Amino acid sequence: MSASMRTYIIRRLLLIIPVLIGVTLLIFAITQLFSPVERASLYIRDPRQAKDLPSIIKKYGLDLPVYIQYFRWIDQVLHGNLGWSESTHMPVLKALITHFPATAELALYAAPLTIIIGILLGKLAAIKKDTAVDHATRIMAIIGWSLPSFWLGIMLLAIFYGGLGIFSPGRLSVWAENLVLSGEFKVYTGLYTIDAILNLNGAVLLDALSHLALPVTTLVTINIALLMRIMRSSMLEQLNKTYVIAARARGLKWKTVIDKHATKNALISVVTISGLLTAGMLSGMVITETVFEFKGIGYWAAHAATQLDIPAVLGFALFAGTIFVIANLIVDILYAYIDPRIRLG
Amino acid sequence: MFRGKARAVSKAVAAVIVAVIIAAAGIGVGLYMATQAKPTTVTTVVTTYTSAVTTSPTTTTPEKPPIKNPDTMIVATIGEPETLDPAWAYDTASGEVIFNIYNTLVFFDREHLDKFVPMIAEKVPSVENGLVKDNGLTIIFPIRKGIKTHAGGEITPEDVEYSFERAMIQDRDGGPVWMIFEPLLGVFSLTELGNISDPTEAAKVGKMIDDVVEVQGDNVVFHLAKPFPLMTFLQIWSQTWASIVDKECAVEHGAWDGSKDNWVEVFKKYHNPETPELQEVDCGSGPFMLEKWEHGKQVSLVRFDDYFQGPAKLKRAIIKKVDEWSTRKLMFLRGDADIVYVPTQYAEEIEGAPHIRVYKNLPQLSDMALFFTFEIDPESPYIGSGKLDGNGIPPDFFSDINVRKAFAYSFDWDTYIKDVWRGEALHIPGPIPKGLPYFNPDQETYNFNLTKAEEYFKKAWGGKVWEKGFYLELLYNIGNVQRKAAAEMLKENIESLNPKFKIYVRGVEWPTYLRAMVKAQLPAFIIGWLADYPDPHNFVHPYMHSKGTFAAWQHYKNPHVDELIEKGIRTTDPEERKKIYYELQKIYFEDCPSVMLYQPVGRHYERDWVQGWYYNPIYPGVYFYVLSKGY
Amino acid sequence: MKELKFILRRIRETPLSIVGLAIVIFFTIVAIAAPALAPPRPGRDPYMIPRYGYSPIPKPPSPEHPFGLTQGQYDLYYGVIWGTRAAYRIGVLIIAVSALIGIIVGGLAGYYGRIIDEILMRVTDIIFAFPGLILAMALVVAFGPGLDSVTLAMILVWWPGYARLIRGEILRIRSEDFVEAAKAIGCSDLRIIVKHILPNAIYPLLIMASLDIGSVVLTVAALSFLGLGAPEGYADWGQLISLSRNWITGKPGEPFAYWYVYTIPGLFLFLFVMGWNLLGDALRDVMDPMIRRR
Repeated sequence: MSASMRTYIIRRLLLIIPVLIGVTLLIFAITQLFSPVERASLYIRDPRQAKDLPSIIKKYGLDLPVYIQYFRWIDQVLHGNLGWSESTHMPVLKALITHFPATAELALYAAPLTIIIGILLGKLAAIKKDTAVDHATRIMAIIGWSLPSFWLGIMLLAIFYGGLGIFSPGRLSVWAENLVLSGEFKVYTGLYTIDAILNLNGAVLLDALSHLALPVTTLVTINIALLMRIMRSSMLEQLNKTYVIAARARGLKWKTVIDKHATKNALISVVTISGLLTAGMLSGMVITETVFEFKGIGYWAAHAATQLDIPAVLGFALFAGTIFVIANLIVDILYAYIDPRIRLG
Repeated sequence: MFRGKARAVSKAVAAVIVAVIIAAAGIGVGLYMATQAKPTTVTTVVTTYTSAVTTSPTTTTPEKPPIKNPDTMIVATIGEPETLDPAWAYDTASGEVIFNIYNTLVFFDREHLDKFVPMIAEKVPSVENGLVKDNGLTIIFPIRKGIKTHAGGEITPEDVEYSFERAMIQDRDGGPVWMIFEPLLGVFSLTELGNISDPTEAAKVGKMIDDVVEVQGDNVVFHLAKPFPLMTFLQIWSQTWASIVDKECAVEHGAWDGSKDNWVEVFKKYHNPETPELQEVDCGSGPFMLEKWEHGKQVSLVRFDDYFQGPAKLKRAIIKKVDEWSTRKLMFLRGDADIVYVPTQYAEEIEGAPHIRVYKNLPQLSDMALFFTFEIDPESPYIGSGKLDGNGIPPDFFSDINVRKAFAYSFDWDTYIKDVWRGEALHIPGPIPKGLPYFNPDQETYNFNLTKAEEYFKKAWGGKVWEKGFYLELLYNIGNVQRKAAAEMLKENIESLNPKFKIYVRGVEWPTYLRAMVKAQLPAFIIGWLADYPDPHNFVHPYMHSKGTFAAWQHYKNPHVDELIEKGIRTTDPEERKKIYYELQKIYFEDCPSVMLYQPVGRHYERDWVQGWYYNPIYPGVYFYVLSKGY
Repeated sequence: MKELKFILRRIRETPLSIVGLAIVIFFTIVAIAAPALAPPRPGRDPYMIPRYGYSPIPKPPSPEHPFGLTQGQYDLYYGVIWGTRAAYRIGVLIIAVSALIGIIVGGLAGYYGRIIDEILMRVTDIIFAFPGLILAMALVVAFGPGLDSVTLAMILVWWPGYARLIRGEILRIRSEDFVEAAKAIGCSDLRIIVKHILPNAIYPLLIMASLDIGSVVLTVAALSFLGLGAPEGYADWGQLISLSRNWITGKPGEPFAYWYVYTIPGLFLFLFVMGWNLLGDALRDVMDPMIRRR
């Protein structure tokens, strides 16, 4: 890694800090539109607790000026404490860690499938430009792009779970969950499919996969459109380039030309939109996990949000923002590697 | 070239459209056929439950399915414990776990709310057995010997003393410990006793706490500030906040170590902490031990073999959090869950399913009312013009009893209970729910009567209300469909009386709702109370006492009522108390400070292989010790 | 005018955009004719769906209620009809305000450059550092749930895109001859911006913005689905879909007993978004050569 690359990465990583400060400050400032009583209501879920309103406001410093509250929060965060998530009854950091494996497992399947299928279909559409195949993929893209993910999820559930009785919501069936929680099944990663392989337990593996089927389908369907379209247009661009035409003229096989040259070059432009793809995945997670009761970070965040659990929402914003910024950074670096003409800076 | 392309496109479009239509039609037909499918016939097993009398259920289904997980009881429900710290826990989900892993000094005798059995105490104190002395101001609990704890120790009188002192020191905001303070020290919180950050005052407060509960040999003695009904005392002392904690175990997990030298420091460190010390720890001696709390998924309990009353029949008990109803339903129908929570609106979906036992008509110890605000904040955004000019109401609108009575006669209980609660709620006359002592079943109450409502509206404010009309907003908190429906029904009925009556039903989030209630901005609000302990005092105080939670928000004050309520909780003679609470229920009807909307009755659903369940409405959940699986 | 003709010609040439246009026209008519198609009860907020009882159990389609009654006995037909109007209302509001802010901020930044530009770019960096839905969700929580909060949060998330677009356009136009000429003859800044730069920069923005209505409505519906937007009983597709979540398993022996509850509102939302996307897809193709043409 060159020195300039290293400074670039460090600079970009440092840039995360003002961005995160900006957003959390914004959220914090907006919450000040609420009166202290309203913010204390997070801790008063039952009228039986209402007599302690004044002391709760005092305990959490809800009537202090906003900058003091914000500095208190920042100070906490710097000490590795993201606060207490009242809606899940645990520290925010712990909640993030607890819910992370589910989200990671979903992403582990959804992201590669989206990329592979998206690229393949995009390529196919480009090669078969203006044929029925091309138009069909175009329509697929439009449909995928327009489908509300939550509705797609509900329809899939209604048909497969409600109707056919397969592919239930959640991460595991009851028996499998009991087994996993019983201690006989060793949990290494929290990603049940990987753990099942490590435990050599085929039944749990199948069960976990059957629970992944619908949410992964939903995520792939929603996110594939963009990728397909980009792949198609950049592939078309490549196919019209002189080197492809020249290679063909030299008598190289059409398939070799596509595989060896055009595809590789077309992929570069796909890399550039991976940032957008990450955003789509992150947003998609919130909805998909909620619909399928897939208890990952998105599910947790959505539920915390409806209960106005502000520390949790702030923690989730930090998490999503960091992931997104890092993903974009990786994209930039990859891009620089693939295409040396690009200079970072 | 261009045309060719267009043609290909149109072909593709046509193909896709046709495909979509075919698919849609297919799904449509499929769905239609599915809706026409005949329901399978099944035999129902229903046991009607009338409080405290169990008829043993009979099953008519010939063959029984094999019992799944015969040693394990699985409960599928919603919600999750907040904490396992008994001094902190105030919600039922936490209580459910805690009352299975901890013991109290005494406990309710099965379904009875007024009879007790000794647990960690050897005897239930009474005047007759000499354990209640000084006109009820001294209550003595002899401590049973040899009760083993989960951590490997034994419960001693010191543990008992420690448990109560620790609870009083912790006294977190919004917690349950006020119930211990009220009889012992006559206050509702630690901070009421003195300034605990001042060394001299803190030492004084510390001494007060130290003195009210003492070890005397094998006994633990409580000293009460004022006379307190013994039954009520025992009800409080039978519940999770009065759980006996194994001191050694608690100290090991960072709880207060029992030192009483430097009270300022003790209070600073252990009073109202950010998080409870025993958050996820089991320092109990109950029939089950905490195996694991998988956040967001389940709490699993395992049998404690050294339990002093003998080991439980079940080896394991699991409380699963399954938010989604369809998943719970499936688990239940397949026998993967033994006991499930079924929301009222979905009852129909498992009506008639085989191998399921349902207990119906279980009165719950909670009720819900419509409260009128006697002095509304003049700045309130919910009272229109703030004048009686047809476009608003004056802030003291509801101080006229005719208005309150007119509103009361406008509520249609029968329709509300039938439609919204599917018949599973009671129309009760006053704040004391059915099932509690001193509930007066013969008390006169309001019924739906629009003629009377009209009569009272015409009388209200010297006829001005009827002449000018009014506008007000009725709020409910979003997510609470029952409150919303109550508000909407009231609106419909009142508006039908006079075209000049206008009510706007507005949904707001809980934070806004809470603030508006606290600031007396709501002309009228709907909210309910859940019993802390099964004594009428726990209901008349919030509903009627000028310092009670709801009455204070309403600015309702009736000195005679306040006096009666205070007398009620200082009176130990049951006959005297009965008179007082009957009188209060009568005043509630006459004064109409709020309109009692309903008391819910619940159901309990279990697989028919579950044996031994009984209903005690104050239990926070399933008490596993008495349960087993078998036919 | 010339552009309009060009656009219309391109639309005619691509059948998919005709489908899109047809869908969009259909929904526009529904939205405009909502009071006639589903007359509200007099004196009521027409966006609140009338309910026919209080039972939570949905009722299947019948002659009086062609699409059935959903959980809480809300009329689905009324809900989807007025839901169309509500979708347009909130979508247009969000986009109009975002575009306005975008034009002002982007215009100032593009024309004056330097500090204003720098600040704008940093602010947009922050907002672009988060996936839109997630930032909107966090903001809605901070504002407190409800449609007003959703509108505000969406505007906060949405305007930077337009600001960047305008800024780019202005940077491009600013260096063109006619602006230089206007400067040379001593026109005031404001006059130059309003008279010369904006008309040229605004045109692409208006088209882009109006086509965004599909995505805006989709995001708003997602927030409502999560329980952060429209309250129960409000004519909003997302809210109606969220009410349907509990009814996917039907009754014993009738797995699709409540099909109308989840199928109908979702179909409306899907078709609406697709109509706009189809149209937008075609128009974006048009936009490119058009910009080049100038």
